[in-house]
Amino acid sequence: MTARILLVEDSALISGALRVLLEASGYDVTVAATASEAIAWPDGSPPDVMLLDLTLPDGDGLTVIGGLAARGLRPRATLAMTGHGDTATRERCASAGCDAVLVKPVPVKELLQIVSDRVV
Amino acid sequence: MSSAEAARPVVADRIERLEAEVLDAQRIIGELRDRDTLKTQFLSNISHDLRTPLTAIITHAEILRDGILGDVTARQMESISVIITGGRQLLDMITEILMHARDSSEPLTLVESEFSLLDVVEQVTALNESLAARKGLGLERRVSTDLPPMRGDRDKIIHVLTNLLGNAVEFTPAGGRVWVHACHGPEPSDELVLIEVGDTGRGIAEDHHELIFREFAQVDASASRVHHGIGLGLTIARRFVELHGGRIWVESQLGRGSRFFFTLPVRHRA
Ligand SMILES: Nc1ncnc2c1ncn2[C@@H]1O[C@H](COP(=O)(O)OP(=O)(O)OP(=O)(O)O)[C@@H](O)[C@H]1O
Ligand SMILES: [Mg+2]
Repeated sequence: MTARILLVEDSALISGALRVLLEASGYDVTVAATASEAIAWPDGSPPDVMLLDLTLPDGDGLTVIGGLAARGLRPRATLAMTGHGDTATRERCASAGCDAVLVKPVPVKELLQIVSDRVV
Repeated sequence: MSSAEAARPVVADRIERLEAEVLDAQRIIGELRDRDTLKTQFLSNISHDLRTPLTAIITHAEILRDGILGDVTARQMESISVIITGGRQLLDMITEILMHARDSSEPLTLVESEFSLLDVVEQVTALNESLAARKGLGLERRVSTDLPPMRGDRDKIIHVLTNLLGNAVEFTPAGGRVWVHACHGPEPSDELVLIEVGDTGRGIAEDHHELIFREFAQVDASASRVHHGIGLGLTIARRFVELHGGRIWVESQLGRGSRFFFTLPVRHRA
């Protein structure tokens, strides 16, 4: 079955680029532009991987992790995407339950590698 | 009427006028502060808004480069590489402006940890090795083995070193040398480490030694200038060093290379 990726990102330009990348690589991509949209993931089973922008129009991206978990929908892996990979941000992401922190623009090869490692 | 009594209304008048002037000055300071805040806010907004489309551009270019949408020819690959390199350069500059704007608007704090200065110096020099080699520059690293573990904000110290070394490489013509040295303060009793980033490049005239640390200041700021930074590297470096309780300065003469120094206090675990 095709692995499903939930891409939480408010900029249509960036989600557009990542969608091209991930779909061309064979994944099934759903985009959510806000935290509440992401938490409202309509399916009964969780996405395999969630790519999570940290600054969303309706608040901190990390709240999505708890929001989904509260519905019993924890993705197999959550990868945070941020503008700056400083230690404070990394620590905040780790304690919120992210598996990795990627600094935007996320290097394409690295992203594909991490995603394919997580979905096998 | 004594002469003192006669002078009283004159003095009162003088005081009143001085008070009015103080009020005026305070109003002007307030206005300037507001304008500075606006400028900072503007810088912060615009850098954030510039990052987003640029991120998308770089990602699309990398998708093409990595052949995800199919093979590209060697000629196409050359163009794609230029888009990526240019895009990343632009992104670094925008990130610097954003960092500066943030720093001016909300007071910076240090995220402290214990780290080895040797590791940090190795990491920063390793990142600059290929660039230095491409420019035909020798890159030397010398760190005393007896340095105590440091306590401070590792990311910020890396940023300072990266900026100084970046400048050294930038302003030194082919065939020259650049170096990073770190040692314990000159006196055995000194509770500080001294770090030097030096080069054999074009040097800096004495009357520019302080100026270059000011925001947006560059020695050659003309439109035809060869170098295209934004003049924030040293401003940010000074902020970060001073936040640690250290000092940063330059020793240089025009045409005789430059040596940038900074100190970091050795702090013991609280
Ligand atoms: N090693 C050096 N040798 C000669 N001149 C230097 C050196 N380092 C800095 N300068 C001078 O000081 C100026 C300010 O440096 P600074 O790093 O603050 O800004 P910049 O390099 O111009 O831009 P950026 O913000 O991208 O770093 C430079 O433009 C250059 O004129
Ligand atoms: Mg610089």
